[in-house]
Amino acid sequence: MKKLLCKGLGKLLKIFLLANIALFVVFFFDLDGKLMFYVVEPFLKKHYDNMERKDTMKSPYDIDKFPKYEYDE
Amino acid sequence: MNLPFDVSRLKASAAAMKDSIAKGAEELKQQGFDKKVHDFWYGKPHGERRLGDLYAGKTGLYKHREWRGVKDTMYYFYMIWLYNYITMVMDLMKYGGLVNFAKGVWRYRWVGQTYLPVLHWFDRGLEGLRGPALAASAWHYRGMVNSTIKQFQRMFEADTRLHGGEKNEAYWHTIAHNETVWGGVFYPWSDKFANVALEMIPYFVTCHVNSHTVLNYIDAVQSIGLPGDPCPMCQAEAGIFVQDDVPDYAPFAIICNEACDASVATSNLQDWFFDKPIYALPMPMLFDDPLVKKHCMAEIRQMWKFIEDQTGVPFNYEQLVKKLKLQNELQEFEWEKWDVAANTESYPINGVAQALYRIYQSQYGDNDIWHFCDKKVRKIMEKAVERKTKTFPNTRHRVIAWSCAPLYYSNWCTWAYNCWGLNVIINMDSLMFNMTIRTDNLENTVEDMAQYHMWAPMRRMAVGGMKHMFELWEYMEKFNCDMVAMYDQLQCKGVQGLHGLFEDEFRDRDIKAFWIPHALPDSRTVSRAEIRRLINDYMTTVMHEEPLDPSLLEFDDSMTW
Amino acid sequence: MKDLKHLIFFEDLLQEANNDLVKQGKADGKRAIGYTCFFMPEVLLDLPGCFSVRLRAPRCTSPDIATYYMSARTCHYARSLLERALEGGYNFLDAQMATETCTATCRFQEHLQQKHLDTVKDMRIIENDDFFVEFSDVPFKKDAISIDHYAEQLRFHVLQPLHEHFGIDISDEALREAIEQQNEVSRLIREIGDYRKLDNPTITGYEFHVIQLVSLVCPKYLILPYLRETAEELKTREPDLKKEFRCKVVLSGSENDDPDFTKLIESCGARVVADRYCYGSQETRQIIEIREGEDPLRAVARHYLEQSICPRFMDQHEMRARKKRLADLCKEYHADGLIVASNKFCEYWSYERVIDTVIMQRDFGIPVCSIEKEYINAASGQLRTRFQAFIESVEIKHIQKGAQS
Repeated sequence: MKKLLCKGLGKLLKIFLLANIALFVVFFFDLDGKLMFYVVEPFLKKHYDNMERKDTMKSPYDIDKFPKYEYDE
Repeated sequence: MNLPFDVSRLKASAAAMKDSIAKGAEELKQQGFDKKVHDFWYGKPHGERRLGDLYAGKTGLYKHREWRGVKDTMYYFYMIWLYNYITMVMDLMKYGGLVNFAKGVWRYRWVGQTYLPVLHWFDRGLEGLRGPALAASAWHYRGMVNSTIKQFQRMFEADTRLHGGEKNEAYWHTIAHNETVWGGVFYPWSDKFANVALEMIPYFVTCHVNSHTVLNYIDAVQSIGLPGDPCPMCQAEAGIFVQDDVPDYAPFAIICNEACDASVATSNLQDWFFDKPIYALPMPMLFDDPLVKKHCMAEIRQMWKFIEDQTGVPFNYEQLVKKLKLQNELQEFEWEKWDVAANTESYPINGVAQALYRIYQSQYGDNDIWHFCDKKVRKIMEKAVERKTKTFPNTRHRVIAWSCAPLYYSNWCTWAYNCWGLNVIINMDSLMFNMTIRTDNLENTVEDMAQYHMWAPMRRMAVGGMKHMFELWEYMEKFNCDMVAMYDQLQCKGVQGLHGLFEDEFRDRDIKAFWIPHALPDSRTVSRAEIRRLINDYMTTVMHEEPLDPSLLEFDDSMTW
Repeated sequence: MKDLKHLIFFEDLLQEANNDLVKQGKADGKRAIGYTCFFMPEVLLDLPGCFSVRLRAPRCTSPDIATYYMSARTCHYARSLLERALEGGYNFLDAQMATETCTATCRFQEHLQQKHLDTVKDMRIIENDDFFVEFSDVPFKKDAISIDHYAEQLRFHVLQPLHEHFGIDISDEALREAIEQQNEVSRLIREIGDYRKLDNPTITGYEFHVIQLVSLVCPKYLILPYLRETAEELKTREPDLKKEFRCKVVLSGSENDDPDFTKLIESCGARVVADRYCYGSQETRQIIEIREGEDPLRAVARHYLEQSICPRFMDQHEMRARKKRLADLCKEYHADGLIVASNKFCEYWSYERVIDTVIMQRDFGIPVCSIEKEYINAASGQLRTRFQAFIESVEIKHIQKGAQS
């Protein structure tokens, strides 16, 4: 049982260490930045550029739509 | 396969990484082992860092992030980089959930294009920092990130566009307002309603994190006929509406005249496209006049009645007092910080963190995260003061930065310290809200709130008489500064209108001052490289100084976020 | 049409700020009070013992020193005023009653201010020991509390300083007298301007522009006889048999004290029939009415806020209503189109022009020509092309309309 626990803990420690190393590599070599810059941003940019947008110049402009907001002192 | 990105660039980036490893190995061979171990453990001393060599091409990305010595690199890795990635995800889950966020990213350019590379914003602002300066400045960034996520998640949660046109509970319980309407005026409803500025997140914060995004909005408003000369901040704020990129998250809005004529005029366009009840709460111009304050108090009261009218929820004085007391605590700590900044060499917050955090916090009003971060910063600062740590040991000049900063290059001061030893101690935006608010009775409270409201960002020193703009001399002395970084917002009529008088005064008073021309969010008017060139020229030709890090003198970062 | 008797005299009065009538006013022992913005009510500066002069800088094409002080990126009008002041052109002024209603003119007026501060040098631009500058706060809204506030500002920052510095009588009776004088000027200008409503107007836009301007820059009591005579003259003035214009337009927009600009539009074939711009008559020449039980100062404050359709106002209702008022103006003066002109660097009008350009055409069916101009128009060739094209397009619309009916 103890051996199994030790083995499990050892495995966890190993995973923890490996994850730390992998994350450190991502951090140190700015791989997150590179992913964003070269992959994510261009992809999203393309998406936003091609998005259908409302023609806001056609928005209504009703002169009397809103009242005077004035309150007694 | 047609990929949405350039594979060759990725390959080039991998090659650069390989080169940098090879270079490191080569250096190891050439230098002495002891020196290498020392640099590994403590990081290279300031003069030897060559931070400019870390940049990859024009992108501002790093071949590799800076090695700051074991302790600071590990601090950066765990307590800044990893901690912030994790807390960002947790914040998203806490405020509205990942699904809302994903919907928002897909719908709105300003969030998708901007907030994903947020850790790079940390990198740019914190370059070269060590020890307490690194830690305290990073806590300021953390505060801003949390507050930003909280707000855009609220927008998405309430946004009818992301919920099939449905006006949900969050929608009915959110108040929209212009970004320079101080959040404090909504405190009486803060137990039931959230207030989210229309432009703070879609425009203001984005410019700092990713300066590319805002250009779309500036172009959008010019495409409908607006000339290019009005303040580009206002252009962008209107452009977001023109591009139909503002979430529909609130049933009404409170607007103000923000800083200038262009802001007033922007309200016209915003009203057209917003097309919902709007109440104008202008800040009067001549705020020194007690009669003006009296009028401002009346306008605040009227605005409260408008909110009662729109929401059906009465004004809650107890809630107002409770929140104001919390905000006063933030102000009191800010005063302590100013005291340390002015009188010691142990102030652990760098120029950009000071400027952005303070303007964000003082404008937004009370928020749990500010208290959390201030607590962390206090601990770091007190320790630094106690140990008399020189937090910016290579300071050659103590600089005060005056007027409005370039949003796309707010981290110029980080560069200036690393390159020239110019340490920006304090800036104008930090000093605008210099007061606590009385909570003893409603009359006093409203009087102080009116004062606070009138001292809005970009106004406190810019309107109400030119004497306020020239408070520079007073603060320069108070903060023991020997140099001025004078921002020159090319499209700000208020500051441009005093340009010559500043020139005259600098000359007459024999003050060392350099100008930083810029167009607030628009990085196309004056590039970052041009700003650096002007400072370099000043430091060499006027000050006759040598750079601390020559690799930072010239580099191309034209594609940087 | 036969030339107006006093037109050349009026044109001469516009050649410099310190014109013959201003000199005469000063020689009569009166105080000259300068101002720039509509929101500094001229009627208060025309109290017995003083007279108002709305500042202009005619023929100022190259404001070099002012550009050093205010940079090349601010409104040319404000810079021209500062240049003229630095040249000594306003030394006749005894006071400047200032407002912070637009940034650039505010900065100009702050340069004039004798500061007596440690923080910035006193430039002593106006060489007159009596000279002072006083700023008033002008609200952004038209509600009752704003009118009260404005009235209070005018009392403390206009009337009281005039009384304290120059012993000017600021009693209600004196105010009523000044209001009556101003109302007479307004009645005459409106009477003269109403001839522009005729099918074939008996006054040109240029002539009217000149007359309106002299009423702003000369002592009222000295210009009044000439205005009366001109109004009388116009009663019998015969129009040209053949119309000299191809369409009628309303000119709206920012600061405009340059009659040559109106002349330029008219030389392209349009007749300017109404003027809604800073220095125009639509707002300045309305009759001030004192309501029953109202004190004259509050009446003045209410009048100036209510009459204005300046884009500075921020009430939601008001932002929208002013479009309707502009459309009504086009209707009242039988205009075929609207020219919206904003001065370069004028932020209020840059935006207002964009909205007017869309809304007036789309929602009111009024053709709009939208232009950006300088204070003094050097680029008249480009503007001429724009105006000609606009007038042609309006004409074509007329022809098409005629063919359809």
